[in-house]
Amino acid sequence: MKVWWLRPLVRLLAALVLPFAVPAIITALIWALPGDPAEIICPPERCGGTEVLAARWNLDQGPWHFYVNWLSSAMQGDFGNSWRVLQGVTVRSLLEESVPTTTLLMALGMLPIVLGSIGAATGRLPARVDPALSAFGVVPAVIFSLFFAALIELRYGAESFDEHARMVRLGVGAVVLGLSDGALGAAVAGVRALFSAEEKQRYVGVAVLRGEGVLANMLPNVSPALAGQLRARLVHLLSGTVVVEVVLRIDGVGDLLWQGTLLQDFGVVLAAAGGFAFFSAFMLFFQAVVEILVSLHVRRAPVLPLAPG
Amino acid sequence: MSRALSLVVASACFFGLVGAGLLAPDHLSAGSMEVAYKGPAEVFPFGTDARGRPLTEYAQQGARVIVLPALVAGAAVAFAAVLGGLLRCVGSARVDSVIQAFSELVGSLPRMVVILVVALLIPSTWRSLLPLGLAWAVLGSPGAMDEAAAVAERLGGARFVEALKAHGFSWSRIYLYHIVALNLRPVVVRQASETIVQVTFLEISLSYLSAQKNQSSFTHPDNIQSWAALLADGYRSLVTSQPSGHALVLGLVLVGLVTLMARGFTVAARAR
Repeated sequence: MKVWWLRPLVRLLAALVLPFAVPAIITALIWALPGDPAEIICPPERCGGTEVLAARWNLDQGPWHFYVNWLSSAMQGDFGNSWRVLQGVTVRSLLEESVPTTTLLMALGMLPIVLGSIGAATGRLPARVDPALSAFGVVPAVIFSLFFAALIELRYGAESFDEHARMVRLGVGAVVLGLSDGALGAAVAGVRALFSAEEKQRYVGVAVLRGEGVLANMLPNVSPALAGQLRARLVHLLSGTVVVEVVLRIDGVGDLLWQGTLLQDFGVVLAAAGGFAFFSAFMLFFQAVVEILVSLHVRRAPVLPLAPG
Repeated sequence: MSRALSLVVASACFFGLVGAGLLAPDHLSAGSMEVAYKGPAEVFPFGTDARGRPLTEYAQQGARVIVLPALVAGAAVAFAAVLGGLLRCVGSARVDSVIQAFSELVGSLPRMVVILVVALLIPSTWRSLLPLGLAWAVLGSPGAMDEAAAVAERLGGARFVEALKAHGFSWSRIYLYHIVALNLRPVVVRQASETIVQVTFLEISLSYLSAQKNQSSFTHPDNIQSWAALLADGYRSLVTSQPSGHALVLGLVLVGLVTLMARGFTVAARAR
């Protein structure tokens, strides 16, 4: 890259485009498929009065009409009603019920990743554990979840949904999210590689000679890369919530999205996918802002004291 | 593990997988209730299910579901990695910006969400893992392109190409042999292998989740059984007294073999 601002600018633009692009792509795909969109969404053998439904869902006047209507309603917090998952119930209320659960699950799932990353950055977590973490991460989320689901079922019963069992499911889900599919292993290896590469820079050696802290000197310079890793990990966890929530029977957005997909509820899927895209865009925006701030800070000319006389 | 041994192990797993897929029956056999839930010792080699059907057929049909889509997805990611590495050698800032924009947009999408959207849009008559595998490959390609580009960058990028040109090497020798075969090979093979494993896990996950909600899978027609069926059947042995633990073991072994295959190819292709 010739200019420092090009990379964060591209990132900012991508962050702005993403929340609009995902619903647009879904809309385009609905119309790109052979056949009438209304019939794809609700096949005549399953739904009666396709024309009436098409008019109600804004499917009768082309993709642009559908997209603009959905987007303008979504911007006001109106995602319409669920078409099949819970017919007639607003998608907004379904999301309001499931988003806090998924947020808590992801926050708990991030705990081992954050702790592992801090351990790798400070050297408290020795490098010899990396192969073990990597081997542990080979196990896919579905298999991890399956075994934990069996344990919960044996301990609390299959239909245990009281507060205690719910918290156990959430805790176990967080462990699965944080450890499986290489989440922890990749985070630790990534942070360790980043810091060990930065440690070889000359300024770090100079900082040591001046008696300054190594980590405090490196941290500002590696923060854009750390922000990138944080984003990658969060997007990874977001993907993993679908499997974990369905297998462990946690009522979150991932489970809602899966139900919407199985039952072909486009109202729910569009809203959930839009929500996921918005979150992803926010993380992209955050990374770009960190990059810009660090670049501006690095390029700031120091104010030198005037020479006496 | 040595490269040669890794290659032998990986190849054995690969040909076993392909062979099982090719020999898979279109429908499970009728079976016999008299041999229901027999273990491998009683009905060789893998035992039977609740209706006395051999689990060998499950293993074969599961292999058939994943072989082609996983290989196509792996090849697509390998192609993307090669492209990413070669484009970095062009040394154009504009090309780099375009690739970054593509990577930022595609890499920001939560993969499972995109997969579910694609699954949602596939008509029920087209049920196959192939479109989902290809979507997974597209989503995984930015990472592969980035990594290959970083390797090409460390190699010297455009300066490396100029140096070899100055030595009078042909373009095919520079790009295909020196850059792709000698330098990008470890990254390309690893990315492709990982994609094969990920597509396999994706299939198992989607089929298992569908089975849990008593719905048809997005990845295969109803007459075909996925390896997820083995896991789902075996799971019941953990929570009930159903004697289907051998199905769970077989499912886990099959998943392990695919992982071993990917690991073997990765080790065999690592840089000298």
